[in-house]
Amino acid sequence: MTGTAGLLRFMLRRERAGLPWWLLGATLLVLVQSAQSQNLYDSPEALQRLRQTIGSNTAVIAMSGPTRLLESIGGEVVFEIFAFVAIVVALMSMFLVGRHTRAEEETGRAELIRSARVGRQAPLAAALALAGLANLAVGALVFAVAAGTGLPVGGSALFGAATAAVGITFAACTAVAAQVFSNARAVYGAVGVVLGAAYVLRAAGDVGSGALSWASPIGWGQRAFPYTGDRWWALLLPLGASALLVTAAVAMLRRRDFGAGLVPPRPGRARASRSLRNAYALAWRLQRGSLAGWAVGLGLLGVAYGSIADSIEQYVRENPQVAEFLPGGAADIVNAYLALTVGMSALIATAYGVTSALRIRAEETSGRAEPVLATATSRLTWLVSHLSVALTGSALCLLAFGVGEGTAYGLTVSDAGQVPRLTGVALTYLPAVWLIIALVVLALGWAPRPSPAVGWVAVGYCAVVTLFADSFKLPEWVQRASPFAHTPRVPLVDLALTPLLVIILLAAAAMGAGYAGLRRRDVGY
Amino acid sequence: MTTTTEAISITGLSKSFGGAKALDGLDLTVTAGEVHGFLGPNGSGKTTTIRVLLGLLRPDAGQVRMLGGDPWRDADALHRRLAYVPGDVTLWPGITGGEIIDLLGRMRGGLDRRRRDELLERFDLDPRKKARTYSKGNRQKVALIAGLASSAELLLLDEPTSGLDPLMESVFQQCIQEVKLQGRTVLLSSHILAEVEALCDRVSIIRLGRTVESGTLTDLRHLTRTSIAVETVQPLTGIEALSGVHDVLVEDHHARFDVDTAQLDTIVRRLAPLGVRSLTSTPPTLEELFLRHYDAEPTPGGTVAS
Repeated sequence: MTGTAGLLRFMLRRERAGLPWWLLGATLLVLVQSAQSQNLYDSPEALQRLRQTIGSNTAVIAMSGPTRLLESIGGEVVFEIFAFVAIVVALMSMFLVGRHTRAEEETGRAELIRSARVGRQAPLAAALALAGLANLAVGALVFAVAAGTGLPVGGSALFGAATAAVGITFAACTAVAAQVFSNARAVYGAVGVVLGAAYVLRAAGDVGSGALSWASPIGWGQRAFPYTGDRWWALLLPLGASALLVTAAVAMLRRRDFGAGLVPPRPGRARASRSLRNAYALAWRLQRGSLAGWAVGLGLLGVAYGSIADSIEQYVRENPQVAEFLPGGAADIVNAYLALTVGMSALIATAYGVTSALRIRAEETSGRAEPVLATATSRLTWLVSHLSVALTGSALCLLAFGVGEGTAYGLTVSDAGQVPRLTGVALTYLPAVWLIIALVVLALGWAPRPSPAVGWVAVGYCAVVTLFADSFKLPEWVQRASPFAHTPRVPLVDLALTPLLVIILLAAAAMGAGYAGLRRRDVGY
Repeated sequence: MTTTTEAISITGLSKSFGGAKALDGLDLTVTAGEVHGFLGPNGSGKTTTIRVLLGLLRPDAGQVRMLGGDPWRDADALHRRLAYVPGDVTLWPGITGGEIIDLLGRMRGGLDRRRRDELLERFDLDPRKKARTYSKGNRQKVALIAGLASSAELLLLDEPTSGLDPLMESVFQQCIQEVKLQGRTVLLSSHILAEVEALCDRVSIIRLGRTVESGTLTDLRHLTRTSIAVETVQPLTGIEALSGVHDVLVEDHHARFDVDTAQLDTIVRRLAPLGVRSLTSTPPTLEELFLRHYDAEPTPGGTVAS
């Protein structure tokens, strides 16, 4: 354990740029939800109506949590947001622990540290302490925000504690995975599966008898019932589980060699398959995993949004204030809701497109582009190979969302025609998504170093304009700079092809200009 | 138009990054069919030169011809005819060594499958491991096998044996000897003097982005000094005054001095009439040769014709 305190200080220093964003994200989710819910359901009658609407909607229960939470306004906030805050906190804990244990070992940096006066368990102990501190901070912030927005203090304290407990459980879970697998990607994959299972188990439990929810760390937090039951004892489960997991992790750590895992890395192919023969095959091979993840995620999001589309109409009729948040108002509620959700999915697809396009820069700076460009592969082929993934992949993401939302909505209203309809609606946003990708390509050609900043600023800008333009009363010209503002909000309005064609032409021009820059600049700098 | 016997011809090549001058009028000529040693201290511009030859960097000034083409303009066509092994090999972590060797070979325009398997055996590399699990030496082997399994007529090797153990070093030397017998051309940037001595027909030494010496090893040896310790019957006088003699230490009948190897014959003739009792002559080692060039200020126009 020698050196734990010093390592912890070092880790805090390394996390000072990233950690605040996680804390901010979790806090904002609770803040926005608490303000919104108290605004919408300002009377016991409104809450009563909500209970009646939602009590019969299994899709909403599967997405959110147990209906017992709806007995008070504070519980309603927990019902709506707890699962999402739990996911954010779990991911934060996973990355904190994974990054400072297995990833450090894998890169060899931990070797230097361990060669100093640092004990075998010190890096794990420090990483867990780091995650513990981060989760305590999340808990305190959730409590402060919930109590600060007027929710009961006692329930708010349990809300914060339950949130922190989920994070601590996943930190402990990551500690075990970091001993089992010898590379960080596998660790994140395994913890991601556990997190997914935790969400699905509590969904199944909340819809059914509730028994399965007790097998899920997210379920433990929800079933502490902040504001409606205040069962503090439920938090003994995550604490006990964390203690067990950490004990197991330490036991494995004491037995294993440095750098090794319990699961030895599987040998791969001795020869490349026939298809792995050119830059395109390489680019798709490198990016297929992340594309599959994004597409599946967007597909599931589509299912989630689609499944509640039908009840939205009834819901809004009973809660007229909600209509203010929808672009078309109360007149065309379902279509307005669909347009809003598709617009949000398009922003996520854009984020995928930007990460994919930025792989081009990562390949260059890591030195992996060099051996490829030293073969007969031209710069154009190399650029287009990765770009083909970004362009096709973002289309697949939109497609997955459209099919997911169309299928779920189509099932609830018994109309198979919703699948092609909503797929088409989602793909309307493709030109706008491509224009942002094209902007990244332009930066890659002429200003490669700031290209990541260019991409993410563009995504952030479009997100702000799309989601908050009306509520912030942004000036007209600010909105018009975003390609999303020019994309027709189908199915709320009719499809207009001209703006889409203009956006596509602009995207093509930007990509061409980007290539012109790439062709004449030095590679690798 | 360069003649076909010159695989690489560079004159007056300059390249700056921001304010830093990486290459400052570099000259380099590599004849077809030779193994050319490319030497210089760290940061002297060897890697930059090779990247210019690969068409990754655009020269600021100077003439660069490779295999009869312009490396910047004709990059794709030229790359079919060359193989490149970087000094600092980074690979895609999730792909196996065997897959990377095949992929790079196919992207270059095909690789000799039998030779690939033979090289895997000789370099003792497990091709089924994911690249993230390879050590530095094994990553180097992946790049080496990918390069050597090609039938490219020109090999650009940038410190290809850094990280290899002595056994693998000797396998590498055998492989380069075979390449040489096939009449292919090699530009070998290296720090391992034994390797350079064993393999290279000619060497170029660069420093601060400029060529300071170029020629055969014999030529270069000739340019350096031999250390002499001598004892004579008659007192030694006037040695200092002779041209080509340096750092003289005289003590009656004993003397120690360095002499330009080119002047050795003249000096020995001058010593003979004095009655030589004993004489030891130490030829310059390669290390001394290189250290002298690595340390010395660059001399303009110090290039020797070969």
